[in-house]
Amino acid sequence: MTLTLSSLTRSFGGFRAVDSVSFSVDEGGLVGVIGPNGAGKSTLFSLISGFLAPDSGTVSLFGEDITRLAAHERARRGMVRTFQVPREYAHLTVRENLLAAVPGQSGETLRGLFLRPAAVRAEEQTARARVADAIGFLRLSPVAETPAGRLSGGQKKLLELGRALMTNPKLILLDEPFAGVNPVLVAALSDHIRTLNGRGIGFLIIEHDLPALTRLVSTLHVMDRGRIIASGAPEAVLSAPEVREAYLGGVS
Amino acid sequence: MVFWVELLIAGVVSGLVIGLVALAITLVFGIARFPNAATGDTMTLGAYGALAGHAATGSLLLGGALGALGGAVTGLAAYALVFRRLSGRSTVALLVASIGIGFILRAGLALAFGHTQQVFQAPLVRPWRFEGVRIHPNDLRLAATAAFALAVVFATLYLTPIGRRMRAVADDPALARVCGISPVRVMVALWLLAGAVAGIAGVILGMRTVVAPEIGWDMLLPGFAAAILGGIGSPVGAVVAGLIIGIAQEMATPVVGFTYKIALAFVVMLFVLLVRPRGLFGRVEGVR
Repeated sequence: MTLTLSSLTRSFGGFRAVDSVSFSVDEGGLVGVIGPNGAGKSTLFSLISGFLAPDSGTVSLFGEDITRLAAHERARRGMVRTFQVPREYAHLTVRENLLAAVPGQSGETLRGLFLRPAAVRAEEQTARARVADAIGFLRLSPVAETPAGRLSGGQKKLLELGRALMTNPKLILLDEPFAGVNPVLVAALSDHIRTLNGRGIGFLIIEHDLPALTRLVSTLHVMDRGRIIASGAPEAVLSAPEVREAYLGGVS
Repeated sequence: MVFWVELLIAGVVSGLVIGLVALAITLVFGIARFPNAATGDTMTLGAYGALAGHAATGSLLLGGALGALGGAVTGLAAYALVFRRLSGRSTVALLVASIGIGFILRAGLALAFGHTQQVFQAPLVRPWRFEGVRIHPNDLRLAATAAFALAVVFATLYLTPIGRRMRAVADDPALARVCGISPVRVMVALWLLAGAVAGIAGVILGMRTVVAPEIGWDMLLPGFAAAILGGIGSPVGAVVAGLIIGIAQEMATPVVGFTYKIALAFVVMLFVLLVRPRGLFGRVEGVR
């Protein structure tokens, strides 16, 4: 198991945004979570990535309890998230955005910088090669030296994925990757996700866009009012009556 | 003509000092996100450190290095003992804490070294003359020191992994956290760098004029003015604005008199900000 959630619960005031949610993601799994607005998807996402602490329940990654770890420590253990509204270091170029995400460089501290210049240089070269690969893979070459703040919305989505990749993730958490993205880019993003999944990277995708997601994932969890109400293969889950009731508002 | 060129040179040297102070302020503001009022007193500590180092070793260079080191240690200590514990509090809480740290530094230095003005006991050197323009070798050396310090800071910021991470945190701290950038490492680097820059500013100011417990505090206002004029958070802007203010002050002295040269810096700032509210190199606030 890469990621295991057990009885995660988080309330705001008297309202249980996430109510004892338990499920797991297998190594290299491709798992989706869907649900209507206000179902608690975003809160769940924040609990998993470490932006919020749960009231009770645990999050474990490769068997280690990470419930109390800070976000950057979770990232270093191989689990990284993206944002629904893409975020970027607006004044850094696309290349610098990706370079800043490469972990474990001696040059991350002033001491390393001045005391181990040779190691810093060698690592910087490796990092640059990896970044160049990612830029090619995501077809961002034309904008590689552009400040990221000037990218189009779609390019920013690609940059999000690229930045996640740079951290050597075992599991990438995608927060509504297809929201507000044109169909061409949806197809391209799906392809990238499939390719990366083929290389052994697991994905947990929280999404509103049903068709794109059901074509992509192998397991689907449906959330409603803070709870998981159905789990399984996408077709089977979507035809379950309680899902149609909750998600499609009873339209038959 | 010769007179004005000499004023211009004096302006450049004092502008470099203001630029260094503004750089220390703007780095902290951009990355730790509060105006650090202890910057001036960190500067004073650098000046006294250089004075003590010079007295002990007889070398201005070693003294200056000790001053820079003193500034860096002060910055790091202020972070480790105070600012780190207040992280996540409001900007006002951090500002007030930094004013307190400034008071402690200033009072501590006054206790240790007294209130009397002290000067560096350096041999007097005859100024060089180029076409009648007098240039003091000392000024030239201090300007070179400032330029070197600026080059090191900018190379660190723009060419190294830690510098990239510092700029990343300045742009979006939450995003930096999720990508595995350790906030503590970035903060440690920031405070060492900003402290050293303030220390060097103090060393230069002390070597050009006198060393007294208030010299740094008096530089805080021009420093903040330059940081704002340059566009708060912009390192390049801070240095350019420091030079503009320094040159404007010196060139205006014959016209408005010594007393009002400080006020002139603010007149310049007012006019620029009226035309360009986000400062010379100011960033357009990103949309979240």
